[in-house]
Amino acid sequence: MTSKVFVALRVRAGPARAFAAFVGEIGAWWRPNTLFQTTPRPPGRLSFEPLAGELGEGGRLVETLANGKVFEIGRILAWEPPERLVFSWRQASFPPDLSTEVEVRFEAVGEETRVSVEHRGFDRVPAGSAARHGFPDALLLQRLAEWWRDLLEGLAARA
Amino acid sequence: MALNAAAEVDRTLAALADPNRRRVVELLAQRPRAAGELARELGVSAPAMSRHLKSLRAGGLVEESHPEFDARVRIYALRPEPMVHLLRWLEESERLWSEQLAAFKAHLERDA
Repeated sequence: MTSKVFVALRVRAGPARAFAAFVGEIGAWWRPNTLFQTTPRPPGRLSFEPLAGELGEGGRLVETLANGKVFEIGRILAWEPPERLVFSWRQASFPPDLSTEVEVRFEAVGEETRVSVEHRGFDRVPAGSAARHGFPDALLLQRLAEWWRDLLEGLAARA
Repeated sequence: MALNAAAEVDRTLAALADPNRRRVVELLAQRPRAAGELARELGVSAPAMSRHLKSLRAGGLVEESHPEFDARVRIYALRPEPMVHLLRWLEESERLWSEQLAAFKAHLERDA
């Protein structure tokens, strides 16, 4: 058990098609999930939106709610079609300075594609919180993250 | 559930954003201890330890009890719940992404 989430599966399509569908058709395939809802309101429709012109870094992942309001889930941090996509992920319930990120990779395996999702940052101490608590040093923050991971692993081993 | 867990995780992390408090957690992971013993181990004053224990209590990481023979003595013990929250949250997150990827696969292959 680590403090990140990793899931992967294989799809019957090439990486270019898989990447395009992941981004362009997210509104069609995404399943709203009450366990992990992005806002307290009834779920809306997800879409990636370009900053200007074409999709790329700086673009947004948004959820358009039934009442027309738009909630920004995150920003595109890395845009490397058809291999890699990274975007930040925030839910409405997150404290303002907690940011997590999602990395999606598309690897060709023969005629298929292995799609993997890594969601990380849950163990990261937000820099803002750290400063508020008089603990601004990046190295110490990293040590805290490592310490936290060890504690979790110890706990998981006992569970 | 996810909402509460997120808030709880943040409180937990805030309580741990101090080296003295992390040392207290490590000591309490071995066994429960009295406040005075913790203060001696860390070499801090009783009032300073009292403040750290208050933060850790607010973060839900420790709980306080009194031995039957002496109500003035406070014994502190580690509470595993905040870490369990974090673990459960990660598990939920993993379930979400498994479901989403399965939905993505179904969508992609339906079109093919």
